Amino acid sequence: MPLSLHTVTVTLLNLIEGTCTPVGHTATERAGSGGLTATEHRLSNGLRLVLSEDHLTPVAAVCLWYDVGSRYEVPGRTGLAHLFEHLMFQGSAQVQGNGHFELVQGAGGSLNGTTSFESTNYFETMPTHQLELALWLEADRMGSLLTALDEESMENQRDVVKNERRQRYDNVPYGTAFERMIALAYPEGHPYHHTPIGSMADLDAATLADARAFFRTNYAPNNAVLAVVGDIDPEQTLAWVQKYFGSIPAHDGKVPARDGTLPDIIGAELRVEIREEVPAPALMEGYRMPADGTREADAADVALTILGSGMASRLHNRLVRRDRTAVSAGFGLMRLAGAPSLGWLEVKTSGGAQMADIEAAVNEELARLGADGPTAEEMERAQALLEREWLERLGTVASRADELCRYAVLFGDPQLAFTAVSRILSVTAPEVQAVAAARLRPDNRVVLEYEPLAADASSADSDSEQQEGAGR
Amino acid sequence: MTDVDVTMDFYPQPAASEARPWAFPAPERATLASGLTVLRCHRPGQQVVAVEVCLSTPLDAEPEGLDGIAAIMVDALSEGTSEHTAEEFAAELERCGATLGSHADYLGGRLSLEVPVSRLPRAVGLLAEALRGPAFSDSEVERLVSNRLDRIPLENASPGRRAAKQLSHELFPESSRMSRPRQGTEETVKRIDAAGVRAFYQAHARPAAATAVVVGDLTGVDLDGVLAGTLGAWTGDTAGPLPAVTTSADDTGRVVIVDRPGSVQTQLLIGRTGPDRHDPVWPALVIGTYCLGGTLTSRLDRVLREEKGYTYGVRASQQVLQSPDLARAAGASLLAISGSVDTESTGPALGDLWAVLRTLAAGGLTGAERDVAVQNLVGVAPLRYETAASVAGTLADQVEQHLADDYQGELYARLAQTGTDAATAAVVAAFPENRLLTILVGDAAQIQAPVEALNIGPVTVVPG
Repeated sequence: MPLSLHTVTVTLLNLIEGTCTPVGHTATERAGSGGLTATEHRLSNGLRLVLSEDHLTPVAAVCLWYDVGSRYEVPGRTGLAHLFEHLMFQGSAQVQGNGHFELVQGAGGSLNGTTSFESTNYFETMPTHQLELALWLEADRMGSLLTALDEESMENQRDVVKNERRQRYDNVPYGTAFERMIALAYPEGHPYHHTPIGSMADLDAATLADARAFFRTNYAPNNAVLAVVGDIDPEQTLAWVQKYFGSIPAHDGKVPARDGTLPDIIGAELRVEIREEVPAPALMEGYRMPADGTREADAADVALTILGSGMASRLHNRLVRRDRTAVSAGFGLMRLAGAPSLGWLEVKTSGGAQMADIEAAVNEELARLGADGPTAEEMERAQALLEREWLERLGTVASRADELCRYAVLFGDPQLAFTAVSRILSVTAPEVQAVAAARLRPDNRVVLEYEPLAADASSADSDSEQQEGAGR
Repeated sequence: MTDVDVTMDFYPQPAASEARPWAFPAPERATLASGLTVLRCHRPGQQVVAVEVCLSTPLDAEPEGLDGIAAIMVDALSEGTSEHTAEEFAAELERCGATLGSHADYLGGRLSLEVPVSRLPRAVGLLAEALRGPAFSDSEVERLVSNRLDRIPLENASPGRRAAKQLSHELFPESSRMSRPRQGTEETVKRIDAAGVRAFYQAHARPAAATAVVVGDLTGVDLDGVLAGTLGAWTGDTAGPLPAVTTSADDTGRVVIVDRPGSVQTQLLIGRTGPDRHDPVWPALVIGTYCLGGTLTSRLDRVLREEKGYTYGVRASQQVLQSPDLARAAGASLLAISGSVDTESTGPALGDLWAVLRTLAAGGLTGAERDVAVQNLVGVAPLRYETAASVAGTLADQVEQHLADDYQGELYARLAQTGTDAATAAVVAAFPENRLLTILVGDAAQIQAPVEALNIGPVTVVPG
């Protein structure tokens, strides 16, 4: 299956059946550029507000992005931004305990929070008539979280997050690949060297004082963007936002993000061989790619889609269909704004295939795109898939609100969300070839080579399923 | 930009304004001359159209010893046709910006297409081509078989998937298809070849036993015209549906540990079988299950996550496995509690989980719990069904489960009418503390003794 790395985040919760993750499938070419509009406002305390009307369904999305993510964390406190995100659901001045969850779900809404390298977001999707409740709840915790935050919540959520880490990374085959790749691709001391989940040791070390300081530093109206999208009355919504958020004081204590710029090219291949209890050998490669917000990043998205997205990509056709050396082959772009983006290539090998053959084939396909460029049919396929992907993000009120916040926080202009599709569609074949030639080179990659532990070392079981696992 | 004056401090919790009406969309049903049933549903604004094709290829129809052939068959439909090679077909479809998924389950086979409405005719043409004239070439079927064999160990390595396989194996008798993996075992998949796939397709994949569900903004789309030259031209015989099968399940209280030395967590899956959606108890069961484990403020997570920190989240759920026509046989669903807990906390977490079940059985649900559950289950409907794909998925589920087209809409009304006592009775009957099969994927050396001490049934250990 293709990688879904366009947004890598750490979610607070498991999916709650059908309600927790927006699944969008609704936009058109015309809606992508001209059909949608948004207005922008700023409260005197610095809170930026984006409003976008859409009355097709009686729902309204509230999305609040704080301009803080794991890149702001300091050594010894990795994971703090995400742990803090959990604490935001533990009550505030007027909301007892798990009241935030109880009130939103009891109102027929869905909610969650996510933490990434560059931001922390909170969202509630509500039936229209319950919109005001969501605004009241977000304002209450923005303004008064510290009155409710205590050791008990801290200790409890520390344990929950440690179990989240185990469930999502440590107890999963290849589960720590992302963390390993990031640590190699962004050098020691770089703000993106560690992932949002953080290390167990740092999670253990975090204190209530750290959490309080983190809130005081980063959770201020002038460090946030609020988007309200859907079946709304803009004037009424603006009045509610003013009423509930307007008196929360601004403050300017935030430390600027450390510089994330790096040279365009890593300079030499960095390779790690990993022997672990995994079911099959796997090859993962990370390439340093242009930062988001540039035309080169859009060209890179098209290039990686041609190479590794969908069932007709070059890598899928070569490795899965023709050579039959791989179970799956994918290549996707993790867009980052404050540092180079990362191109993530992943191949799970088929039984008996030689890793050297797979690597040679990958090298050949990547080099060929740089040397000869894409065909017109490949451009059409990649741009049609990306168009659909981008339009889907604008297709539900919740994901549209999220995109408006993303562009407002990372690039200062929410309107860029509505023109993303046209930027992708304007990428040309020579631009795709150029970014492939410049970036998809052996001296610009990190490589993780997974080999399973020897069959006899893992277990002496004679069970047939164990045999299948070891004897592929 | 406008500048807005700052106002004041805290305000009381706001009340809801008046709700805008919303109803689950009613599809229009028709039967084409070929016998293909078509459900269509116009959803204004939904410019990416979802098309679901339900095939009457339940896993019970697989020939003896060929478990997994239904999955290979539905996958192979899009791997080459009379007009296009496999590579050409995939590229054509993706040039429409479309995705095409395939799935084979106990209830039937499914193809799921999503495509921007501007390219609907071209993509439906390709979908029809796959259904009407699949190539099933030796080479492509061999590739799919080999790919599936490669995926089996990858799936077994996932604690959740491994637990689910063990649960089915323990719960259902060997004679039942439900005791065995949906996509087959290494032994059965190895036997699948192109001739077998072709024979399975010819025996079961036919328009008279199939339904196409089309949902999206169909403004200006001549859907009848689009279908006439595509899905409408798919022909076949009109044999009736397959005989219904019923199955028994052994829910004797017991624990099976799938041993994974060194696991930092224990994956738990606790289950037994219950009724399907035809049963009048279903709405009460949905409410009761939500109160038990629908979200992090439900009874299980209130203790296991938010009080004890043993887990990132434990959920209770029900999933329909068999749903024949009401008149013909009884249906079945899998009732389950699942999640993962850190290895050290396995014993205490299971102890607390059983305590939650006992407390629930002894004291029942509160009216407030029931109210919140109903408000959420009913209230989220307009959110949940914002996209065409979500509406199409539910309509297709209704078709597969032999439910009326207005089932989902009616369900919301019935949920609202279901009281606290009925919800309590349903969930207590669903999860009786002494009739639960518990699968634990984890480190037996560390968890076996603490689990035995709980007296929740005999404990056996099988290799991981």
